[in-house]
Amino acid sequence: MSRLIVRLALALAAFCLPLEAVAARAVDLTLPPFVSAYQPRTAAERGIWMQADEDERQLRDSRLLIDDAALNAYVRHVLCRTVGEERCHAVRLYVLRVPAVNATTGPSGAISVWSGLLLRLRDEAELGAVLGHEFAHFEQRHTLALEHRRLGATDLTAWAALVAGGAAPLVRLIMTASTFSFSRAQESEADSLGLRFVAAAGYDPRRVAEVWARQMDEADARAAGHKQRSRRYDGVHLLSTHPTDLQRMTALRAAAATLSSGGAIEAAAYAAALRPWRAAFLADQIKLNDFGGTDYLLGQLAQDGWSEDLLFARGELYRQRGNPRDLVAAADFYRQALALDQRHAESHRGLGMALLRGGEAEAGRAELRRYLELAPAAGDAAMVRALVS
Amino acid sequence: MSVCRAAAAVCCIALAWIGAAGSVAAQERSAVRPGFTLPPGTAHILLLRPHITVGAQSTAGLFQANADWTAQAREQIDAALALAQRTLGNDVMRAPEAIGADTRLIADYQALFAVVAQSVIDYQFFKGNRLPTKKRAGQFDWTLGPEVARIARGQGCDYALFVDTEDAYGSTGRKIFQLLAAVTVGVGVRSGEHTGYAGLVDLRTGDLVWLNADRQMGGDVRTPEGAAKRVAELLEGFPGRTAVTVAPGATPEAR
Repeated sequence: MSRLIVRLALALAAFCLPLEAVAARAVDLTLPPFVSAYQPRTAAERGIWMQADEDERQLRDSRLLIDDAALNAYVRHVLCRTVGEERCHAVRLYVLRVPAVNATTGPSGAISVWSGLLLRLRDEAELGAVLGHEFAHFEQRHTLALEHRRLGATDLTAWAALVAGGAAPLVRLIMTASTFSFSRAQESEADSLGLRFVAAAGYDPRRVAEVWARQMDEADARAAGHKQRSRRYDGVHLLSTHPTDLQRMTALRAAAATLSSGGAIEAAAYAAALRPWRAAFLADQIKLNDFGGTDYLLGQLAQDGWSEDLLFARGELYRQRGNPRDLVAAADFYRQALALDQRHAESHRGLGMALLRGGEAEAGRAELRRYLELAPAAGDAAMVRALVS
Repeated sequence: MSVCRAAAAVCCIALAWIGAAGSVAAQERSAVRPGFTLPPGTAHILLLRPHITVGAQSTAGLFQANADWTAQAREQIDAALALAQRTLGNDVMRAPEAIGADTRLIADYQALFAVVAQSVIDYQFFKGNRLPTKKRAGQFDWTLGPEVARIARGQGCDYALFVDTEDAYGSTGRKIFQLLAAVTVGVGVRSGEHTGYAGLVDLRTGDLVWLNADRQMGGDVRTPEGAAKRVAELLEGFPGRTAVTVAPGATPEAR
């Protein structure tokens, strides 16, 4: 009996999986009508907004918040260009310093964008797609719909536990699977709407799918670096809130193919806006102890040539792993960085450290002295001085 | 692989289900730091903006916040606290709405207090789960650190009072479910969750000097009488309270 139930459950669960894989419908360029200054209408929605207000207070007071006016203004500029002036004033933007690829939306319109995402994107078309996706969650009231769905599913599960006896676990499994399936359908809808926003704003929609291609490659590199098997992308897990990267990429590619190609990319403007922060975001990334993924990421960022900050970051990455061969490689990267910019103080420090650990004490100390000359007031100056004397 | 994970997840959900239905084991509710006394009329106490959340409990037990009930409860609890202040024996002032950098500081300390209070409840009040360092009889040694004084800078206060309540009223579905579960299979299902705690922190040392926590509080906070009852329960055992009038010299510690 129990074996039969398990089999039935698995069959039904498998049935729940591919629902959103067929989400790659032809994209219609019309956008949903917009209601400005929307206010929650039902008691359930007012409750959700009240909690969202508390969460937003925490977001506003968070230590992770980057309050740099220029960066915030730039992200808002891309949002407004993507979704239009009227829509973009309905939401608040919070740029958070978290070295992971993510952006979130609260039910009342608090959008957070994480620094790990900004580091990996390449142009305004890609950023616009992410912001459009998040905006779509807000505009389509996805939190509320998901909450209703979850309540219905758990209530049914509770009643089943009471009246259905042995079939209750089966009902629970189906209801759980259907809730997560619903969440994945919402993500697909937000992806599709994000792409429509990007196309309507005059950005090139064909760029967007490539974000997911790079995400998969980076995840593969990370898994290889950790000597783990890479996650599969061809089927979703029962409890996944999002479709797999492969499904998202495929759907976005198919949808973009129906749209006219061409359009603005604004890669130069994006790079210029990120420039003051890239070194800091790279330093955060290097602390993640993810050699494979980080090395892949640096290679991607350097596709138009290695700049001194990327070379320095690569030196730091190799020096952190610290095998004898890594120290030699790290010293080489620091030297290349210094060839581009002799006054790059941190590269002198990194080179000095790598040489010291590699046994070249005199040359190492000379580099550290040069670091102290260039950055006498650095936070670690006292520590470095102790190494030199 | 994903099959195994799904099975494990279902087991976890089932276990959580059983755990939620089980009743809360007997546990302590209140403690005062050994040797701490607060003679009436000697201290100024800063009352921070209470955390109040009120909502409904769905048939399956999920929490659904209710903005209208929360607004009512905030109004009623504020009024009840204002009345109760007079019986606390010491001058209580409300913290002004913070602006600028202070908001972050106060938010940090309110979050820290919530974590410390929850730790006290989990690792000291819950006897079977006591940490090895919290097992000595009469011990109550928890602190937020002396830096907490910064939240009351320039206000001349000696202590800070934190109040936190969370209420989930059982929905009609939950009540029917509770009844049917009891009648048909004889399983006890709880309808409604009413938790709250109040704590007093010494602003010079950061020590938690008094904490009162209860996972089954009384009083419907949406009504004036209920809120008064809730506030009375929250402030039960407050040090230096004048309501408990004891003749001077009658306490054994007096000499």
